[in-house]
Order: sequence, then C-alpha cells, then structure tokens
Amino acid sequence: MNAADAGQPVIETRGLTKHFGRVRALDGLDLSVGRGEVHGFLGPNGAGKSTTIRVLLGLARATAGEARVFGRDPWREASALHRRIATIPGDVALWPNLSGGETIDLLVRLRGGDATSAAYRSRRAELIDAFQFDPTKRARSYSKGNRQKVALIAAFAHPAELYVFDEPTSGLDPLMESVFTRQVGRVAADGGTVLLSSHILSEVEKLCTRISIVRAGRVVESGTLTELRHLTRTSFSFERAGAGGAMLTDAQLAGIPGVHDLALAEGRVSFTVDSDAVAGVLPALGALGVQGLQVAPPSLEELFLRHYGDLVPPAEAA
Amino acid sequence: MFGTLLRFRLRRDRWQLAVWAVVHFLLAYLVVSAVHTTYGTAVERANTVKVMMVTPAILLFRGTPQGTSAGDFMALLGLTFIAVLVAFQSTFLVVRNTRAEEALGQTETIAATAAGRWAPSLAVIALGVIANVIAMIAVAVGCLAGGLPTGGSWLFGAALGAVGLTFVGVAFLLAQLFPAGRSANGWAAALVLAAYVVRGLGDATGTPHLATATLTPAWPIWASPIGWAQRTLPWSPHARVWPLLLGVAAFVVLTAAALVIQDRRDVGAGVFAERRGRAAASTVLRGSIGLALRLQRGVLIGWITAVVAGALLLGGLSGVMVDQLQTAGAGVTNALDEIGGGDGSSGSLLQAFVNVGAIFSALLASAICVQGAMRLRQEEVAGGTDAVLSTAAGRMPWMLSFVVVAGVGAVLALVLGGLVAGAVAGDKGGGFATWFWAVVWEAPAVLVFLGIVALVFAVLPNATIAVGWAVFGLAAIFGLFGPLFGLPQWARDLAPFAHTPAIALPHPDFTGGWAMALIAIALVVASLVLFRLRDTKPGA
Repeated sequence: MNAADAGQPVIETRGLTKHFGRVRALDGLDLSVGRGEVHGFLGPNGAGKSTTIRVLLGLARATAGEARVFGRDPWREASALHRRIATIPGDVALWPNLSGGETIDLLVRLRGGDATSAAYRSRRAELIDAFQFDPTKRARSYSKGNRQKVALIAAFAHPAELYVFDEPTSGLDPLMESVFTRQVGRVAADGGTVLLSSHILSEVEKLCTRISIVRAGRVVESGTLTELRHLTRTSFSFERAGAGGAMLTDAQLAGIPGVHDLALAEGRVSFTVDSDAVAGVLPALGALGVQGLQVAPPSLEELFLRHYGDLVPPAEAA
Repeated sequence: MFGTLLRFRLRRDRWQLAVWAVVHFLLAYLVVSAVHTTYGTAVERANTVKVMMVTPAILLFRGTPQGTSAGDFMALLGLTFIAVLVAFQSTFLVVRNTRAEEALGQTETIAATAAGRWAPSLAVIALGVIANVIAMIAVAVGCLAGGLPTGGSWLFGAALGAVGLTFVGVAFLLAQLFPAGRSANGWAAALVLAAYVVRGLGDATGTPHLATATLTPAWPIWASPIGWAQRTLPWSPHARVWPLLLGVAAFVVLTAAALVIQDRRDVGAGVFAERRGRAAASTVLRGSIGLALRLQRGVLIGWITAVVAGALLLGGLSGVMVDQLQTAGAGVTNALDEIGGGDGSSGSLLQAFVNVGAIFSALLASAICVQGAMRLRQEEVAGGTDAVLSTAAGRMPWMLSFVVVAGVGAVLALVLGGLVAGAVAGDKGGGFATWFWAVVWEAPAVLVFLGIVALVFAVLPNATIAVGWAVFGLAAIFGLFGPLFGLPQWARDLAPFAHTPAIALPHPDFTGGWAMALIAIALVVASLVLFRLRDTKPGA
C-alpha cells in the first residue's frame, strides 16, 4: 500500500460515460468506494453494473469521464493495479481442458501470487474443503455453480486490497452462499475493500456497509444502509380484533400518528410509517393493546421501488 | 419437428454454405481454365502426362493419370485437392452442429424440448447431405462453365459429393467419441489428410501404361474415400458410377453406427470419457506464455507431426524419383516447373521438386500460425481473455504469448521438417543442406500469415476467423496451383511464398526472405500496439 493512497477513495469515478454505438451504457456515473468498505453496487440487469466493472478493470475504455482505482488510471496501469485486485466476472469463463485446480493456480499466479507458498496452499485447501469442490475435473464438465466456485476460490485464496465481484453468488446454493458470506467477512476484517455488484437485495443487505444504486447508467442513490433507510418506510401489521375480541374502530386507527398506506385485509390492519417516525407509533399501539404485531424493517426492495417506480405492481397503488 | 430443426440449421449455416459453394465453383472453374491455358493441345497433354506417370512424387500430390483429354487432366490435377476441401467442409459442418454445440450445452437445451434424441441429429445429417448436393452442383457447374463435357462434369461433381458424404459420417461418428468439439475436429482433420496421403501412395506406387497414358493405381487407393472418387474416372471412356457408391455406403454405415452410439450415451458425454485433470497446476502453467502453450499444445503437436511426416515422404520420394527419371527426358522439368513455381530455366528436376517440398511444408506450418492467431479471437469470445486481463498479466504480454507460441511452433516445425527431409533425401535426393535450408527459409513467409491474422484480430476482431481461413485457403490454392493458373506476376507476388529464396537454384536471392521477415515483424508489432487501443469484446 502506498502512503499516497491513504486518504483517498479506493475507487472513484466522475461523470463516467461509455457508449456502445448509439447505446449509452454509462451516462455520467459517479461512484466512490472508500478504503475498507464493503460496497454494494445494486441495480437491475442492464443498468450498467458490468460495464462499470469492465472500465474499472481496464477491459473497456471510458468514452468520457474519469475513473480512478487506487488513484490511478485503470486503463493505462491495468496490470500494475491488478496485482492488488481480485475479481470474479459476471460470466465465469474457464478453459475447457484445464482442470479446476489448474485454473485456480494459474489465475493466482497471473495475479502475481506464488502457487507453491505454504500460506497459499493451506488457504486453497481450506477453501476447496469449504466449497466442497473437486479440483481434478476438467472445466468443461463443471456445472454453473462449480465454475463459480473456481472463480471464488481463486479470488479468496490469494490476498488482495480490492475485491471486485460481479454477481458472485449466481449459481450457488444457500449453503455455498453462506460460505461466500463468511469469506467476504474475513477479507473485510483483514482490511480489504469490496465492490459487490448484485441485483439480489438480501445479499447486499447482509454484506454491505455502503450501497450505490445504479439505474440506466447513473448512480441514483448512494449512502450507508442507515442513511438510505431514512428514505424508506417501516411496515406494520396486526390483528384488527383487539385484546378482548372487540374490533378496533376506524377512529382509533386514525389516532395513530404518522401512518401512511392504511389498509384492511383478511382481518388485519397494515400501514407504513416513515422509518424515522417509528418511535412515535409504538406508544399508540401499546395503548390500543394490538395483537399479532408484525414489524418489518425497510428492505432494499423498497429502495429499489423508489427508483424504479414504474415497476411497482398496480396493487401497491390501490 | 425435424423440419423446424432443419430450417434452423440451414438458417444458421446459410453463409457458410454460400461461401463454400462459391469456393467449389471457382476452384473447379479456375483449374479447368488453367488446364486449357497451360496444356492447350492434346500433344502437350500427352507429353506432360507421360512425364508425370513416371514421377511418383507428383502423383502423390495430384491423382491418377487416366488419359490425355482436358477432362482427364482435370481429374488428374484437380480432383484430390477439391476432395480435401469438400471433406473439410463436411467435417467442420458436422462437428460445429453436433459436438461443439453439445460441449456448450446447446444440445441439452434442444434435447429438453419435444425434439427427442433422433430428430436433432437427423436434421444435422440432412444438412450434411444438402451441403454436399450443393457442393456437387457447384463443382459440376464450374467444370461445365470451363467447357468440359456434361456427363463427366456431373460424375466428377457426384464423386466429390460422395467424398463429402463419407466425411459427414466420419465426423458424426467422431462427434460421438470425443467430449470436446476441438478434439473431434482435430481427429477429423487428421483423417482427411490421411485419406489424401493414402490415395497418394496408391497413385505413386501404381503401374503406368505409357501407350494409353493411363495408370493402374496400387491397392491403397481403395483404402481412401478420395481414392473411390478417383476410380470413377470421370470424362474417361471407362467412366463408371459404382465406386462412388462405396462412399455413399460408408456414409450410411458410419452414420448408423454413430446413431446407435448416440442412443446409448448421456447427452454431454463421449465414448472416451473425460480424463481427470491434475489437482494443481504444474510449474509450466504459469503466466500468459504457459497458458498459451497449454492451449495450443494439441494444435502444435498435430501440425508438427504433419510437417515431419510430409518431410519424410517428400525426402524419401526425391531419392526414388531420381532413380526413375534417369532416362525420362527433359520435358519432366517443365512439368515440375509448372507445379513448383520455377521459371523454366532452372534446368534441374530436383531443384523444382525441392521447391515443391518446401512450399508444401510451409503450407502445413502456416496452419500453426493461422490457427494460433485465430486462437486469440476464440479466447476473447469465450471470455478467457478477460479472465487473464483482469489479473496482473498485461495486454501486450498476453497477446505476444499466443503469437510467440505459434511463431516458434511454426519455425520449429520447419526446422524439424527440414532436418528430416534432408536426412532422408541424402545426396542422391538433392543433398541435406539444400533440403534443410529450402524448408527453413520458408519461415519468413510463414510468419507473415501470423502477422496478417494478428493484425486483423487487433483491428477487426469480428473478422478474425473468416479472414484467417480465407488467407489460409488462398495460400493453399496459390501454393499448390498458383503457377498452373498462369496469373500475372503482380498477383503471384501477393503470395508470401513467392518471395522466399529458392535455395535449390544456383544463386538464390535472399532479399525477398529478409523482406518477408521484416514485414512479419512489422505486422506483429502493429497488431500489438493496436490491440492496446481497443476494448475486449467477449461473447460476440
């Protein structure tokens, strides 16, 4: 790590633009990832996540705007930067006649690692065991999940300062996803920075400390999970029948402060509350003695819906 | 169902079918025209054919002398080469549509529909039949356009179509055996070349009948599908259809066997199961160069073997040829000049033959270069390039690795070929040094191919594969037929082989060789620089 790197973001783009013919894949994208962050890069398919990553890895050159990785130009200084970076591509491509074990060693060597070092051998063995992976099969006979494991093991087996993951858990079963989660926690604890692109909300919610939401080639929202939760609403629901079996009246319900989207269905009352107004609602609910209370924290699903409002199903509007 | 699948295949392959049809037509037409121009009269043809009959080394590359008409010459000079092309068309077509797709999982996508197990394969077989009917028509029309008699032209076309059909069956069977498209293609190519060489041995060791200007080939001709096509004797008074039925029968038997195997195996599996790999990489597999070497290993071994085997044959025949030609007469040299590209003044049979041998070796070696450079694009499409460039390996080292492996492989092939040819030929066959240096001095021309395809990859990546095959095809046609076509000098000068020093001549001119070397280096450097300027484009 260079001393000059210390204060500045690990990844920084300003006005990043990439055109493919007439298609604007990136349209002025501003992204900043600080050191030690596990940064979620969230957006639907086609939003520009993979294109951004290709630019950050120096595989594609920006049409306009600026991209910096560790303060350096990812296109001009690609190979020097890549010694400090581990990646998992969106589409894991392997060489059909190399075995999984050979591929892992090759990728680590290409990153500048020593495939014979004791530290690497033991980490590799540990990962192969954790991911329940057979390294002797030829890559052409691996399933999608197993191809993904090759990339994951190669990324985690040799330490890096920055990990760039493009939808890393696609094809993995929940058990393997939890192995992945543990490994991300481990590299983050070791001081690594992670950029994790995903369209799976729960994954990002679980792993990330900061999030950038990308849509149509621009970052439309960026912040910590807590910051973004101020922009969302917590949902409440409970039985309409109160403690003694008596129905709560409309007037009683209307007395709860800060309620939005009040609805009655199948004997249950549901509504949402601005996330910073939750504390004011609880005494009122206590006074009413509500039964079967369920409180759901704001999910990233809702963050998404704010920015892709056109995708909200009609039921929501009713 | 079958109809839907067949239409899908036809649509997918429509450009390949069209390009091949044009190639078959043009080649047939051009060879016929060249026969008319170069051997215009019956007397010229009679003189030439008598020389060839006692020159096994020529018969090995050409065919069976069967008379002195223009058609007989077409059969002698053009049949075996067009047969190789038709065979390659068929093997590529079948593997592309069967095993290559199966390895990518596309077969599974189709097998999971109501298509079932048989219909998809039968659609590919039907596509193969259609492709060969088109080839038959293209070749026959090319002959007719060149002014050859109707019956013989159609028999010629049909015989070549039958060769193609046989190789449809061969490739379909190989596709059942190997789990990877690349292995199936490699073995298919080896079998096509083997068919060419085996029939060549039959022709080279046949019994000549000088009075009738015909030759009775030895038995190996019957061991080759290309030999069956030759034995139909198109345009000769003894023309017959039945030998081509052998090809059709072989197609039926091979296809049936393949279908039986396919019916018993899992989708995605091969008869030869996938061997387990190493659990860890060897010390060789490190860096871009280790990867390039590993990925091109099969291609290198295959083509180097071919060059060495060819050198063995050529060197061996050069000695035999001298024995047989002690008394054969001066006309021999002219005939060889026309094939070997001499200027007619060389005055030595062996000199021209050494030149033929060198060009033949160079052609095989340039396949290493063309395939090596095309591999760059294949890696890019498959995503391997991005995987490597996402590591600390730089763009230039990555590209240079593939170029260097192909270039060194090609030069190594020529050096080994030169050593073998020289050693086998001995003093009687032209001398060790002459053979060795003649073959090795082809290296600059061979490396130009590497530079051309690498440059196309850097600038127009989508065109890499098409240009690669086109360049190789043109080189093959120019190399083997160029002098015969009587092209103007500027057109001949376009072929890199035209500029390599003719070592066998008394005062070889090395300027062209050095110029070719400089051009090759300039092309490679330009391609390395230009590749740095563009995005990689996987999956296109």
